[in-house]
Amino acid sequence: MGLFEAIGIAGSGLTAERIRMDVTAENLANADTTKAANGQPYQRQEVELEQAGVGGFASALSGAVQQAESGPPPGGVQVSGIVSDATPDQQVYDPGNPEADAQGYVKMPNVSTVTEMTDLIAESQSYQSDVTAMQTAKSMFTSTLGVLK
Amino acid sequence: MELVDSTQQLLEAAMRGSWQRETALTSNIANADTPGYKRQEVNFETELQSAMNGGENLEQVQFQTEVQPEEDGPNGNSVSVDQESAKLAENGLDYQALTQVLSTRNSIVSAAIGVTP
Repeated sequence: MGLFEAIGIAGSGLTAERIRMDVTAENLANADTTKAANGQPYQRQEVELEQAGVGGFASALSGAVQQAESGPPPGGVQVSGIVSDATPDQQVYDPGNPEADAQGYVKMPNVSTVTEMTDLIAESQSYQSDVTAMQTAKSMFTSTLGVLK
Repeated sequence: MELVDSTQQLLEAAMRGSWQRETALTSNIANADTPGYKRQEVNFETELQSAMNGGENLEQVQFQTEVQPEEDGPNGNSVSVDQESAKLAENGLDYQALTQVLSTRNSIVSAAIGVTP
């Protein structure tokens, strides 16, 4: 058990939430992008999270040392990947658009602004709870240092 | 009376337990959006109680971080951020109370041996 472990865990939460906010911002910015890098409409990106320290040597070793049936030690959170949302593109009738097909339909990205905005609120609140957790750890340190006075 | 008596050891052990709980609660909050994550908890009070009743050396007591078998939401995550925040605040205050008591005991010992704080 490290002294600064709690702060590190809260920090991993901050990093993960910030990446999620970055991706949400990218989705919002590209909500109307009809031509992405591959020439197709932009596809909504989504962040996958996983519990940090579950796999790998370090957790296997500490698990064996503690003989814990109780699961992995707390190790924070990490981003396991950023994946594309496979929801089909939206078809919008807009014959005046240069991207429109013969029937006058334009393929628009599968981004819903409402979904992205609600995601953004959830992410910013998760970020704040991580900050609160970090502050609690900090005030606990401070009170420990107070014993030495 | 010994200088480091059982109350002192008990305070130290409780502070260790509280610190470990802090780590577990922080992990729960960090993983509040991780699919399939199950919340962790450290019930150090119960373990400390049984260690005291069994007459174990309190300095050697190790607390377990346990994964809680609780009902989970649609994505298999059992963390409720508001409950975790409440527990976090409670644990932080508990810890400060422990350090206050420890601090007061230290100043009593200091006064007794003639060290002016």
